[in-house]
Amino acid sequence: MSALTVLADDQFKAPSPDELFTFTPIIPGVDWFTKPVLLALLSSVVVIGFCWAAFANPKVVPRGVQNVAEYGYMFVRDQVARPFLGKDADRWMGLLLTLFFLVFLWNIMGVIPILQFPVASHIAFPAVLAISIYVLKVYLGVKHQGAVGYFKNMMFPPGLPKPIYILLSPIEFLSNMIIAPFTHAVRLFANMFAGHMLLAFFSMVGFWFLFEKLTPLGATVGVIGVVMTIIFTAFEIFIQFLQAFLFAMLASMYIGGALHAEH
Amino acid sequence: MTMAATILAAEEGSNPLIPHTFELVVGIFSFFVVLFFVGRLLVPRIQKTLAERTDAIEGGIKRAEEAQAEALNLQKQYRDQLAEARHEAARLREEAREQAAQIRAELREDAQAEARRLVEAAHAQIEADRQAAFAQLRTEIGRLSTDLASRIVGESLEDEARQSRVVDRFLDELESSDAQAVR
Amino acid sequence: MSEQERRPEDDGQDFANAAWSIPSYLLAGMAIYGGGGWLLDRWLDTSAFFPIGVVLGIVLSVYLVYRKYGR
Repeated sequence: MSALTVLADDQFKAPSPDELFTFTPIIPGVDWFTKPVLLALLSSVVVIGFCWAAFANPKVVPRGVQNVAEYGYMFVRDQVARPFLGKDADRWMGLLLTLFFLVFLWNIMGVIPILQFPVASHIAFPAVLAISIYVLKVYLGVKHQGAVGYFKNMMFPPGLPKPIYILLSPIEFLSNMIIAPFTHAVRLFANMFAGHMLLAFFSMVGFWFLFEKLTPLGATVGVIGVVMTIIFTAFEIFIQFLQAFLFAMLASMYIGGALHAEH
Repeated sequence: MTMAATILAAEEGSNPLIPHTFELVVGIFSFFVVLFFVGRLLVPRIQKTLAERTDAIEGGIKRAEEAQAEALNLQKQYRDQLAEARHEAARLREEAREQAAQIRAELREDAQAEARRLVEAAHAQIEADRQAAFAQLRTEIGRLSTDLASRIVGESLEDEARQSRVVDRFLDELESSDAQAVR
Repeated sequence: MSEQERRPEDDGQDFANAAWSIPSYLLAGMAIYGGGGWLLDRWLDTSAFFPIGVVLGIVLSVYLVYRKYGR
């Protein structure tokens, strides 16, 4: 862990983003194979394994893993898909469930002991999902509303005074076509990034003051660091779940908006 | 190549908003693999099962409703049949009563007719007996009277013709006096 | 979507749409009109158009959100 190098110094130093988010290859020489890559692949394996155990041979009367996975399915269907897609919800459940489970696994990696790195805090991972959704959104919009109709519905919402369109249409275009996918990815990334920084900071405080430089005064700070680590770990689990939910929900919202013009 | 990638990675590490190329590739790969297995293969299975479950539950409710409806129908049918049977029984009883009354009336009539016939027959018998007795009595009385008269009068009435003429005349007188007395 | 097709979940959908669109619209408004002002400033060698553009962008974005979701 490169973060441990700060301990060589006599003074406590908060971990920097560089120390927390830069990794050397696990196998020397195989540059692409770093910890985030390993965890991303591991997340995929876990999601597939979990869903396979639950849904490969589903029973009408659920039991065990299927029960748990069905809670997840119902949650995504009722809270993510149906509010935005209505009767089309079932068609998109495959994509939305994949998004939710995968992002949740990526996030939860941040609090699993030993692994302890949220995959989504590397922008590349949220970005590929957001870009995929973006491509799908534009494709569906053009397919269902026509190329002209899609951009017309997007940039010229009905019910506004005519001259205003000149001022507002650029905002609509920029908002929907560039800012929306960007924030879609960045929101998830930034939450995980900041959460990981916080957790690392508090655990570092605890480690430094209780193990490295144990002094009567420092011990209090160390205990506070440990307590805060526990509290923020619980809080992070909540945020990780929430961000996975929001990511899937926004995807559902974009797909719904592409299928039917906003009213 | 390796060197370049390492330097690139080190530089990228300083700006967290610049994605690593290999992470983009791995991200796309892992996303589409999961999308294929979970979204393409597994979600349709659970959707099918959920639909089956909904079907089973709704089917169960429907079956129960059908059974209840059938039971109600059957009950109604039984009740109808029972009412019909009661009605039929009442009708039969009424008919029997009527028939009994009719038979009784007929019997009574027959008996009365029979009685009348017997009485008439008895009357006829009595009349015939009376006639016979009367006829016999007439001859008897004639002989007795002549005997009596001959004894009293002493007149010989050996002459048969005369004798019977006298008797007849006597009896005719007797009859006419009788009739006059009745009248 | 026409009026008679409205389902109960549409209200929640509207709310969510508005809630998640507002930051996006604000950013877009600021970027477009702030950027335009910045370019004008560079061209005319002034410094007033950039803040004016940013404020105008915010105002227009809020107006747009209000007209789309506010009523």
